[in-house]
Amino acid sequence: MRPLTPQEKRTLRLGAIGVGVYLLLFGGVQLWRMLERRRSDYQTLVTQAQALKADLGLYETKTLVVGKLMKDYHLDPGKLARATVVAQASAAIQEAAMAGGIPITAVRESPTRSSGKELASMQIEAAGPVPAAMGLLARLQTLGYPVLIDSVQLTPQPNPPGMVKLNMTLVVLDFEQWKKKEAAHE
Amino acid sequence: MTGAVFRPHPVLIEIGVSSLHALRGDDGLEVPLTRQHNGRLTGPCKEQVTAALRELLARKTWPFRLRAYCAIAANGVSIRRIGVPPAAADQLDGVLRLQIESQFPLAPDELAWGSRRLNEKGVHSATAHQQVLVVAVKKDVIDEYAKLLGDCGLEPVFTVAALARGLLCSEQSGSCAMLNVGRTQSEWVSFENDVPTGVRVFPWSAEALSASDGAWDAVSSALRGKWSGKIVYLTGAGEAKDNVALQVPRHLGAGIQCRPIQVAAAPGRTAAVLGLKKCIEQIGVQLPPVLKTRTHTEQAKLDWSAPALRKWAIAVAFLLVLVLTLPYAEALLLKPFLARRMTVLKAGLGRLATIDQELGFLQFMKQNQPPYLDALYLMAQSAPPGARLESLTMSRRGEVALRGSMRNSQEVGEFRAKLIKSGFFSEVSVDEQVPTQQQKVNVRMTAQWKPAEARELLSIGPTAEELAKAKNEPKK
Repeated sequence: MRPLTPQEKRTLRLGAIGVGVYLLLFGGVQLWRMLERRRSDYQTLVTQAQALKADLGLYETKTLVVGKLMKDYHLDPGKLARATVVAQASAAIQEAAMAGGIPITAVRESPTRSSGKELASMQIEAAGPVPAAMGLLARLQTLGYPVLIDSVQLTPQPNPPGMVKLNMTLVVLDFEQWKKKEAAHE
Repeated sequence: MTGAVFRPHPVLIEIGVSSLHALRGDDGLEVPLTRQHNGRLTGPCKEQVTAALRELLARKTWPFRLRAYCAIAANGVSIRRIGVPPAAADQLDGVLRLQIESQFPLAPDELAWGSRRLNEKGVHSATAHQQVLVVAVKKDVIDEYAKLLGDCGLEPVFTVAALARGLLCSEQSGSCAMLNVGRTQSEWVSFENDVPTGVRVFPWSAEALSASDGAWDAVSSALRGKWSGKIVYLTGAGEAKDNVALQVPRHLGAGIQCRPIQVAAAPGRTAAVLGLKKCIEQIGVQLPPVLKTRTHTEQAKLDWSAPALRKWAIAVAFLLVLVLTLPYAEALLLKPFLARRMTVLKAGLGRLATIDQELGFLQFMKQNQPPYLDALYLMAQSAPPGARLESLTMSRRGEVALRGSMRNSQEVGEFRAKLIKSGFFSEVSVDEQVPTQQQKVNVRMTAQWKPAEARELLSIGPTAEELAKAKNEPKK
């Protein structure tokens, strides 16, 4: 093979440099675009993470409030079963009344009322001493069931003195309605 | 002056033909040199010098390169006075290059050279030309020493040892000369009015000059007609100094006075080194012309082979690459972790909805829990003695209906007033009030308690004193 002249060597060298620079620029631009896309995705992800962090910050307070209310009412809504909550609440009320010294004379259950948040209502009649009646009223809130006292009627009994007849209408709340409500908001 | 306090001592070096002397502060060293046939230092000699200098420098370490003032032997050094057309300081180098090109046997690019204007001091030219002293040596000599010293972490500045010795002369006005007698050679430099006029190297040591008249004859013939001074300063020569001093007037002329300069015998202390020291420590003493390589092409070019420069260049390049790539590297490296964490968090978002549901449910319970006991407590507190309750009905919506009897209508009014004053009820009305024949009043009342928000600030219930009293009361 004929040896190359300096001029030819120079031409070849320049050509190789040109091709190298072109490839470097072309590949470099492609690489840069890819990296830039990755960086942009990452920035988006970081923004989402920051927003999520802010949301979670709000829920820290909510969690504390929920914990306090659950402790106050001795109630965990997540553990309530719609099918059995009325029966369990009724049994717990009767047990609490018996334990408090005010025997229940009648219990009448009826299905849901118009508001839709209530699962059932109960009419309870009991008779006993005034302190026992007051104690039952206080304990109903902490039985561990979603029971609201809709109305109360107190009628003193003549015999024996100090006795009172208690007539209450209770409603048992339906936690499922809150789940449906939240789902509708989402 | 404050800066000088913290400035480390520079290293003062004399590189002779057969030995290297270095002084830094009070520490000094002497290293014998072995050279090849072409005058270059041998490899082992370079290693020895490097090790010795590093040991000298390692006694105190500094985070930057130390300046080293280095005086080289006069071998190959040429000193000339050149007249150049008047030029600005920044243009003088260019003008001198042309003169060196025409007057020196080597091209300026092949020389290391330095210059000093003479017009300001000493000789004043009558012509328009200005006189410049030019000192030059082959570039290779300086390059070899510069590399050697650079490897030791020094930043060398080169000058000629013979000129540095001249700084020790007590009187340079008029014509004088300085003879340094070394172990293998002697150096002669002559001065006219403080300006060096010529430098010669004679291949005779102190022993040769003491023993042989032939050596002096050669010196005498070499200087004849070129120097006409009357004072010769003598350095070096060791123990033969007195003998050599006697020989000088005998051979160079009866009227010539030889003045030996005493230099304390200690490692690193030579006449050239002390001359450099005087120049650095004393204000007003000017350093002899500094020898520099000033090629056209290399002047503007950085020497990338210099270790320090290469180190900095690598550091800069590394930082630049780091700055450019860190944002992308962060995205590439951290995105998988962040995405995984986000997936876990999003999976837990369902729990947030449950929290919302539970919170809404429990808050509803709290807000709709009727205050029956509070209402009963208030009515019991407000009822007058002897009042009889026949029926009391309360509902979740806050409606209260009461039926009973009291002793008179005044008690009914007071009872009503107390209920209103409690702040618990928004309205209290007496629907019916019927006096009976048994000195009593049958009464039917209705009331409405305030909404939960309005009741929040009320303090209802037995006080601590009342509770304590109730506890102490004997049970019936």
